[in-house]
Amino acid sequence: MFEELEKLLSGADADYADIRYEVKRETSIAFSGRELTGLSSSSADGCVLRVLKSGGLASVAFTRLEDAARALAAATANAELIGARLDEPVRLAKADVVEDEVRPALEEDPRERTVEEKLELLRGYNEIAHDHPKVATTSLGYTDLVREKHFCSTEGSRVREDLVTVRIAGGITTHEGGLTQTVRVGMGGSDGMWRLRGREELVEERRKLALDLLKAEPVKGGAYKVVLDQRLGGVFTHEAFGHFSEADLIEDSPSMREKMALGAKLGGDVLCIKDDPTLPHQLGRYRYDDEGVAARPVQLMKNGVLVGRLHSRRTAAAFSEPLTGHCIAEDYRYAPIIRMGAIFIEPTEETFESLLERLGDGLYLKNHMGGQTSGENFTFGAQYGFEVRGGKPGKMIRDINISGNLYSTMKSISGVADDLKLGEIGGCGKGQMNVRSCYGSPHLLIDGVVIGGR
Amino acid sequence: MERLLEIASRKADKVEIYSRSDVADGVRFENGRLKDVESSMLSGIGLTLMKDGRLGTAYTRNLIDREALVESALAALTGGVEADYDLSPAASPAGLDAWDPKIEELTTAAMVEECGRQAAHLGSCTKGQVNVSAARGISTTRVLNSEGFDQTVEGSSYQGYFAIHYPGSYASIHRAVSAKSFIAASREDLDEAADVFNASEKELRPRSGRTRALFLPGAMYALVWRLAAATTGRTVYEKVSPLRERMGEQVASSLLTLTDAPLDDSQPEARSFDDEGTTCRDKRILDEGVLRGFYTDRYYADKLDVQPSGNGYRSDITARPAPSLEHLRIEPGELSFTELLRELKEGVVVGGALGAHSGNILNGDYSIGLSPGLWVENGEIAGHVKDSMIAGNVYEDLHRVVALGSRLEPASMGRFPALLLDDLSFSTRG
Repeated sequence: MFEELEKLLSGADADYADIRYEVKRETSIAFSGRELTGLSSSSADGCVLRVLKSGGLASVAFTRLEDAARALAAATANAELIGARLDEPVRLAKADVVEDEVRPALEEDPRERTVEEKLELLRGYNEIAHDHPKVATTSLGYTDLVREKHFCSTEGSRVREDLVTVRIAGGITTHEGGLTQTVRVGMGGSDGMWRLRGREELVEERRKLALDLLKAEPVKGGAYKVVLDQRLGGVFTHEAFGHFSEADLIEDSPSMREKMALGAKLGGDVLCIKDDPTLPHQLGRYRYDDEGVAARPVQLMKNGVLVGRLHSRRTAAAFSEPLTGHCIAEDYRYAPIIRMGAIFIEPTEETFESLLERLGDGLYLKNHMGGQTSGENFTFGAQYGFEVRGGKPGKMIRDINISGNLYSTMKSISGVADDLKLGEIGGCGKGQMNVRSCYGSPHLLIDGVVIGGR
Repeated sequence: MERLLEIASRKADKVEIYSRSDVADGVRFENGRLKDVESSMLSGIGLTLMKDGRLGTAYTRNLIDREALVESALAALTGGVEADYDLSPAASPAGLDAWDPKIEELTTAAMVEECGRQAAHLGSCTKGQVNVSAARGISTTRVLNSEGFDQTVEGSSYQGYFAIHYPGSYASIHRAVSAKSFIAASREDLDEAADVFNASEKELRPRSGRTRALFLPGAMYALVWRLAAATTGRTVYEKVSPLRERMGEQVASSLLTLTDAPLDDSQPEARSFDDEGTTCRDKRILDEGVLRGFYTDRYYADKLDVQPSGNGYRSDITARPAPSLEHLRIEPGELSFTELLRELKEGVVVGGALGAHSGNILNGDYSIGLSPGLWVENGEIAGHVKDSMIAGNVYEDLHRVVALGSRLEPASMGRFPALLLDDLSFSTRG
């Protein structure tokens, strides 16, 4: 394969070019309620070609090899078009030339299991999810996704890496009177199918939660002091702070670049944040990014001070900062962009109980329902929570969406517990999906967040 | 493709083939400067088989090995997805004029010029960060099946977008255009957006409470999403839609009419048949607030024992058809933007929604960050608000429509006018 790709690159009249050919194999099984509604196992493939010429960098995605020459011509013309309009030509930070082949260490490779076995696994969990008269429906899916990547560049890099992701995810919907409640279920990872075995308790717990929520009360809108659980803390870290650490999201905003200058004190002393795709046994693990750059751990914040940032080769050069290996594509349809790998707030010595005590009166919020960020403003949902009086959790609440400002919220984080947990299910939709985006946190105490409510 | 149909037909009772190819070019300016020019040429084929009451699917990007594709779909049959609905019979749906050949002459260089013109103009009249983008697309969709259905539609599209951002934020005042041919952004649109942005520069801190709110088209999807989730054949069949037994009832204000208009070929992706070959028709989901229709693909139509509505679409070749509203529109009202502000008197303008995907969508609940939120006093924009949210339930709130804007704008999920609602819950730090 590499010979063919290199032959194509050799025809490029450019300062630099790279190409990534990928085969993407996917098995997916879906239940809607008790009905099996989908089952398929297929593969698809395609290429992304990038060309740097006359100071412009452009990309073309294509799926038919006979379009290769046309793609190369289009990418070259687009690069020249960009180069002609830029004040500062695009440069790529110098990266090591790499020849490597990486296969992930898997405990139970899904490629070696039959689709029937996967179906029975999913059916078992779906039955548990349904096991109560007030469960109206479920929507549960099994997916295994294999990206077999071949990357090579005119600099001579040749990287072959496989990424294998498995997950079972969906929702359990309960119904009573006019009210429905849906609770998300999710399990999975990047180190094999063993992650999906023996998880009956998790499904039972989620079913119970969906039933309990029928009795919970909608939260009243307003500003609150809150404790976030690890999942919510993880979403906060990803949505509010993490995206701001992606150089491409701030590079064209002078006001954000100024606020996010390295050395700026943005949070309390208790706050240390890292992104580390190289950590073993977590969803976001990879060795090389889609520019063929080796991933490395990046300290983003140390005791509240901004000390690092996530980069592509282009932004590392533009910011004059070190390469980090965080330029990732969803698949063969997309050019890579800067993505978090595995971002988390580092744990301290304080216990969760101590955080609750310090909370006193406020809310304890649990389980995320997705979030979104818009520059320094963010919103994310909590599945449920509890009113806390005198450090004791009481009445259950629901319909909780939190909104805030990054800078004021970072300064308001007054406690970080000792119980870091990384999520099994990630996902980030920054223009393209990244199902392996991993995030986590210990329990957090925050002094004032705005919660929408009726 | 005919070969594939032939091979598959020998091994299955019913066969449906969906093929799609897309050529797209996009241009993006950030902070007034050219940032990216991207192109793509993607194509692929999705195969659906039915045999002995079971369904199997598979897909491929390259039709190199037809036998292997058929084998993948046959292997999927063993899973036991039960389905035995009829495929679309041979038909010749109404011809639509979905193709403007001039799209082929629209170069990336011309789009760079157009975006550059907009960026320069907006840069000269606002202090906000200006982002502009444009994209053109050429698509070919073909559906053929073992019943003799075989139709192809070629479509052209142009999408333009500009935004003026508030400092330190991706909240923006923005406008979009969408058509099957190139259209330049008008000077009036650019100026109007700049005026709104400039008038709202001051940060205000109003109090939390009940308020009137004007949803701009770019924020409407937060509300429409809930209605779409409750009117799909899927949630009706699963008995979890809150609207499933309310056909013919008043579920929203009589000012609200929600139409699915696939035949409107002034818009890109107009279709006379869906991705399963079902003939499309224009229809009302809500007619003056009265629930008139659920939308289905062939699978859920069969489950519900109704005629398929022509809403079976695939999000990609890798996905099975599912009920989807691809051509949604809310019928416009009569007020201009200035008149809507006057009608609003005091309250908030929801310029964009953050976190619309969180919350109990099926129940109709929403709780969104305002991105941006503009504050209106005495019928005029007085400034903008930060860290603010609007929350409620569409089945309560949509009964309180005060007025609709006269102008339809393309936005996420469809084309919508601005919508003025009374008495919503507004939370903020102030």
